[in-house]
Amino acid sequence: MTDTSLLSAPWRHASLNQPIGWRCAEPIAEAAVPWSMLHGRIGAWQDLLDSLAPSGRRWLLHLREPLEFAAALIACWERGDSVVLPADDRPETLAGVDRLTAGRLGDVMSGHRAGPDAGIPRWGTLDAGALALSLYTSGSSGDPQRLDKCFAQLDAELCMHARLWPLEGRLVISQVSHQHIYGLLFAILRPLCEGATMATSLCRYPETLSAWLARLAKTHPSSSADMVPDAVTAPCDAVLITAPPPLERLPEELDWQTAPQVLSRIHSSGAPLSQAASERALRILGVPVSEIYGSSETGGIAWRIQQRSECWTPLPGIDIRDDTQGTLWLRSPFLDTTGWQRQADRIAIEESGFRLLGRVDRILKVGGKRLSLTSMDRTLATYPGVLQARTINLPERNTRLGAIVQLEPQLIPYDHAARRALTEGLRRHLLETFESTVIPRYWRFVDTWPANAQGKFSGTVMARLFRDLQIKDLHNRRLPRWLGVTFEDDERCRVTLEVPERLIYLQGHFDAQPVLPGVVILQWIIELAREHLGLQSTFKRFERVKFPQLLRPGDRAELSLLLSSVPPQGEQNPKLTFTLKGRQATHASGKAIFSDRETSDVE
Amino acid sequence: MANALELELKHLIIDTLELEDVTPEDIDRDEPLFVEGLGLDSIDALELGLALQKTYGIKLEADSEESRRHFASLKSLAALVEERRIH
Repeated sequence: MTDTSLLSAPWRHASLNQPIGWRCAEPIAEAAVPWSMLHGRIGAWQDLLDSLAPSGRRWLLHLREPLEFAAALIACWERGDSVVLPADDRPETLAGVDRLTAGRLGDVMSGHRAGPDAGIPRWGTLDAGALALSLYTSGSSGDPQRLDKCFAQLDAELCMHARLWPLEGRLVISQVSHQHIYGLLFAILRPLCEGATMATSLCRYPETLSAWLARLAKTHPSSSADMVPDAVTAPCDAVLITAPPPLERLPEELDWQTAPQVLSRIHSSGAPLSQAASERALRILGVPVSEIYGSSETGGIAWRIQQRSECWTPLPGIDIRDDTQGTLWLRSPFLDTTGWQRQADRIAIEESGFRLLGRVDRILKVGGKRLSLTSMDRTLATYPGVLQARTINLPERNTRLGAIVQLEPQLIPYDHAARRALTEGLRRHLLETFESTVIPRYWRFVDTWPANAQGKFSGTVMARLFRDLQIKDLHNRRLPRWLGVTFEDDERCRVTLEVPERLIYLQGHFDAQPVLPGVVILQWIIELAREHLGLQSTFKRFERVKFPQLLRPGDRAELSLLLSSVPPQGEQNPKLTFTLKGRQATHASGKAIFSDRETSDVE
Repeated sequence: MANALELELKHLIIDTLELEDVTPEDIDRDEPLFVEGLGLDSIDALELGLALQKTYGIKLEADSEESRRHFASLKSLAALVEERRIH
């Protein structure tokens, strides 16, 4: 048996003509990416790194393409470097990592990338106790924290996975980011170490997944009579690495006929999957979901298949216990400490494992008194029409709290009066239990819960919801209230906005009947397109802009953005089509034309 | 006809207390500013007291019966400013 331990660097000994990657969208004959190619990429990255700095450095690494990411990661490790994986590619996130690292690698602004020519990889030593990488927590229970992982820690977890759920040559298809621990272990390091293959791109959308599964089913031995002899056959068995958000949104109307035939296992992690979503996934995909409970700090803790039991089974090697408050304590070989560690979750231990009862109360001191934010969340959730709520401390607002409230659609306020009436109702409701000084002052009413791509309540999304209140914007008051974004694909998104009552642009416009000037709407549209669709080109002009219905302070509207490229004279000029719609009317529509050329009109 | 001053005070309240979703029209001149009505609380009272001192030079006892009376409504607050302002 070959050694699959990370510490033995199995990639060095791979058979170079065997596949490591599959281009799932390509015709089968051209789909295989051999190990020789990955070796060439590792060499290319090492050539680049050698030209940048002597070894022993830390690098920021962000790369969406799984194989190229793997090549860059291995190149760093074998050179004696380590990496820091930013949780996302927002400028603020990257800037926070810059001070730790010698430079940026990958598909980010100012990121170095290896040249196209293959290089010859050079192997070093992977020292068990050496720092392999650092990554960040989601910030669901506070500010994101950096966590350092040494090779031995990663290896212990990978070996356990390989024993519990051996890949046995199956193709790994991932819907989650490998910038986080779960995607990194399951979608990148496991196939690399276990000699399995991975899809060469992330499978973000259900349409893609359905198409890939149909394609892979065609390579199934029972239907491959017309296959070219000697051609490397794609593995007809696949493992899906996913998370609650994609599973909860699986559209039934797509063709999933081939899913049970191709998928042999589905993993989900990041947050517990609801029972309904678990049943639905089983019904649609034909395979039960193996969920993993854990965190970036602790690594994996337990797992379950809900159709067998709702209870979680501790992973091999993990010890758990509870205390008098029902708080989970953990002893784990994946932690760098050997003692018991208190966790932020409450559990109930049962014969077949344990149940998760939710987070330990979040306590905040307001005016010297202890306030349980968790209990305020629960009280808010008992108000008619409230689905869930999260009260949060806004450090820049001293003692004033903010609240994120998810509402049933019919309760969403679309104008100032409706919003005032709703906040007044919620205030009165809270005043029955809480003192007036702790009642939230800043309300964000959302129709979808602010979870990140891993399904966790996201500190990043939370901060985004209150960005218009941040100190630097306080006196400037130029930003809309941002209430969430949903993506249909990489080019298409919908952003929900409200017009803040104290917006600077509203003052002195028409004092009696303030309306939002169209030019401000256009400015917001461009800024939001840059933020959400990664648009970097220079703005050229607007076309066919209309403002059919005025927007007033407190109005809520949904902005639909579609980015497409039009080729005039063979050039690719990005074109942004936008519509800003309220509940009853359209407030703005039109197109914005951008230019990728360096020399262009100033914006 | 204290309308100009009342409007000024409405803006002072909104800006001082950073009420993000309150417009001047939402503040009724006769309605209570605290607890009921606008729903301000004791921390707001302190901040508002400071703002009155800074803007109009009016000094108020922090937690006196007198202050409570002046803060009862926008109308009474305007009357206080009218009577006691030194700038």
